[in-house]
Amino acid sequence: MVLLETLKERWFWYSVLCVLCWGGWALLSKLGSREIPPETMQFLFTVGALPVGLALLISRRFKLEKSRKGISYAVVNGILSGVGGLTLFAAYHTNGNTSLITVATSLYPMITVVLAVLILRERLTATQLLGLAFAGAAIVLFSL
Amino acid sequence: MLHVAPWFWFAVITLISWGIVGLLQKLSTNYISAESSLIWLVVGFLLLEPLFYPGKAVLHYSGWNLMWALLSGVLNALGAWALFAAMKSGGKASIICPLTALYPLVVVLLVPFILHESITLLQAAGVLCALIAVVLLSTEPAAESPP
Repeated sequence: MVLLETLKERWFWYSVLCVLCWGGWALLSKLGSREIPPETMQFLFTVGALPVGLALLISRRFKLEKSRKGISYAVVNGILSGVGGLTLFAAYHTNGNTSLITVATSLYPMITVVLAVLILRERLTATQLLGLAFAGAAIVLFSL
Repeated sequence: MLHVAPWFWFAVITLISWGIVGLLQKLSTNYISAESSLIWLVVGFLLLEPLFYPGKAVLHYSGWNLMWALLSGVLNALGAWALFAAMKSGGKASIICPLTALYPLVVVLLVPFILHESITLLQAAGVLCALIAVVLLSTEPAAESPP
């Protein structure tokens, strides 16, 4: 069965680990933001991310690949994450409909899927497309 | 002219920026390791840090909340590393991105134990949809052998 095959794939278990870590991140952000405003949370969050980056740097004995493309993509990755965060705070500051903003912006994976299909030429099966619809529904329900 | 509220454009920029991030994650791991991708991601975060600098105000918050905020950064970075590793080990961006975006599932399941809030009916429906999504998205045909 395809599903059982997936359980043997490393990418699946790394994704599970990501979900667990990000679940913890979201929960702790919720706890911290009862008192701390979002911009400051973002500042502290980066300070918290720093030791992880440093630990990985030490684990690699300060040797990083010299791929200009790889590095640029990863740095722009960090910048765009922050820009997205900034404009999200800006959206909330305009006193727009908070739940609508939360729902709309949390559907970002759908944009990724479209880009991955168009640019990376990835293909999804019909079952996976159905899965995508359920993921979208779950994301909307969670952000309501 | 149709008037569009300012929040709409800000939300669109967020949506598109984060959508592109999913693509860049895959692209970066096409060239460098998951560890290097994380290190350079943190560099990207740091470049924007001055925009968020809170000044001395940060000293007035309670120690616990400051610790939660810092720990949230640790967990986010570990999660991002796992995501890069998932992409590096052959996962598709179009599967891993929606799959990992289901992390609120963990929050909804933990909140009753940690914050003693009960799960709403909508959240329960969300949990169900998320679990179905995980199963359906994971029906990935075996990776084709590289040319």
